[in-house]
Amino acid sequence: MAKKTAPLSIEDHLKRLQEIATILDRGDVPLEEQLQLFAEGMDLAATARTYLERAELRIQELSGPLTAQPDHDSDL
Amino acid sequence: MKIRDIRSEAVTVGELTQAIKGLLEEGLGSVIVVGEVSNYKVASSGHRYFTLKDDDAAISCVMWKSRSLQNDPREGDRVVVGGRLTVYPPRGNYQLDVHALRPEGVGDLYATFERLKQALAERGWFDAAGKTSIPTMPRRVGIITSPTGAALHDMLTTIGRRNPLVEVLFRPALVQGDSAAADVARAIAEMDAAGVDVMIVGRGGGSLEDLWSFNTELVAAAIHRATTPIISAVGHETDVTIADFVADVRAATPTAAAELVTPITLTMIQADIDRSAKRMCDALLDRVQELRRLAEGFIDGTAADRLTERLHLRGQRIDDVTGRMQVHLRHRVQQLTHLVDHRQEHLQSMHPYRPLRLGYAIVERNGSPIPASAPLAPHDEITLRRYNQTADVVVHQVSATDLSSNPHHIQHGQENSSPLD
Repeated sequence: MAKKTAPLSIEDHLKRLQEIATILDRGDVPLEEQLQLFAEGMDLAATARTYLERAELRIQELSGPLTAQPDHDSDL
Repeated sequence: MKIRDIRSEAVTVGELTQAIKGLLEEGLGSVIVVGEVSNYKVASSGHRYFTLKDDDAAISCVMWKSRSLQNDPREGDRVVVGGRLTVYPPRGNYQLDVHALRPEGVGDLYATFERLKQALAERGWFDAAGKTSIPTMPRRVGIITSPTGAALHDMLTTIGRRNPLVEVLFRPALVQGDSAAADVARAIAEMDAAGVDVMIVGRGGGSLEDLWSFNTELVAAAIHRATTPIISAVGHETDVTIADFVADVRAATPTAAAELVTPITLTMIQADIDRSAKRMCDALLDRVQELRRLAEGFIDGTAADRLTERLHLRGQRIDDVTGRMQVHLRHRVQQLTHLVDHRQEHLQSMHPYRPLRLGYAIVERNGSPIPASAPLAPHDEITLRRYNQTADVVVHQVSATDLSSNPHHIQHGQENSSPLD
């Protein structure tokens, strides 16, 4: 049932994005670095957005000895 | 409608009945009644109607078809019923909406419930201190419930809608019947070992008997033992079970539990990304504007003056230089020159040529002023730039001057050359 996982976790993406936004907000980095961070941040935002748009609920089943009946788990 | 109003003025029958309804339904709510069954009838609709009575009184009862009942009681049976008092306005009568019915003495569920509740409370299993809080952004959520009930569907739909990034680990369990308590307890232990951030244990609504496994010590102990935060979600809002007291959080319904495990929704995450992106764009725009201001400052005031001085001093050479420049660069110089022209007035007062009107001269070599620090030597070919003349001269003789003896002069000398270095 498990679908493919994201190469980099969404939490990491969001954390880094926040980090970049904060650094840029402070505005105390050289212009070159600022442009690089901006590009990185925009990439992260785009990747995260795409990932979220494609997100689907993943459901795994943990079978119990009493309840692992064939008619139950076929549509889950 | 307030009681006070009813007493002080005439009211309609409907208003009075509504007041009675409020008094009985809200004032009494859930009750447990012991009595004798009489006139027990099962209607063709499947609903059961009877009267519960004792020596002194009688009360009409209804037990809807949807309420589960193991055996129909017989006339004259002494029973314990649990239910809510309801008023039926069209007929002006009241009746007991029976949720559960048991023969008296044989497994009095309510008494058992109260005894267990008391015992576990004394053991400290309900203490707030023992409760674990639900993580703010659970990644893996365990669900223990019936694989066939609406509760599972409701929870999956709610989680999927709110935050499909969540991974669900589902453990189907028997939630009704004799082996239910044991299976739910085992499921909790398994889920605890499986490593989830939070688990939901629950089922949809039902009679007290239906929910009974969640009132057992077996399930209570399993919840108490587990280290994973547990949300109990048994039945409807009005159903309260022992599991609810032991669990870290009680959710009113399975759907409410699903909402609790997805406190951060996809929409919120998306809004957060948008906010971050906007912050980045704003920061960059601010920087660009700051740079623009800086650039304007550069071709403004003193900085612009210095640039203009260079342009003027280098006179004709500009044409040669610009001739070798890219077209856009030449354009830029023209722009700057143009800008400087507009500031002519300001420049007048600041202009380094101003002293030339007083008779001072700039000593230049190859079109550039010779700094005071560079010594002159005999035979040097230099240019004296005066206010309205230049003179090419050859140095005949040099001699040292005591600089400190004429500070006024030095100041001028420095003024004339320093902007050009």
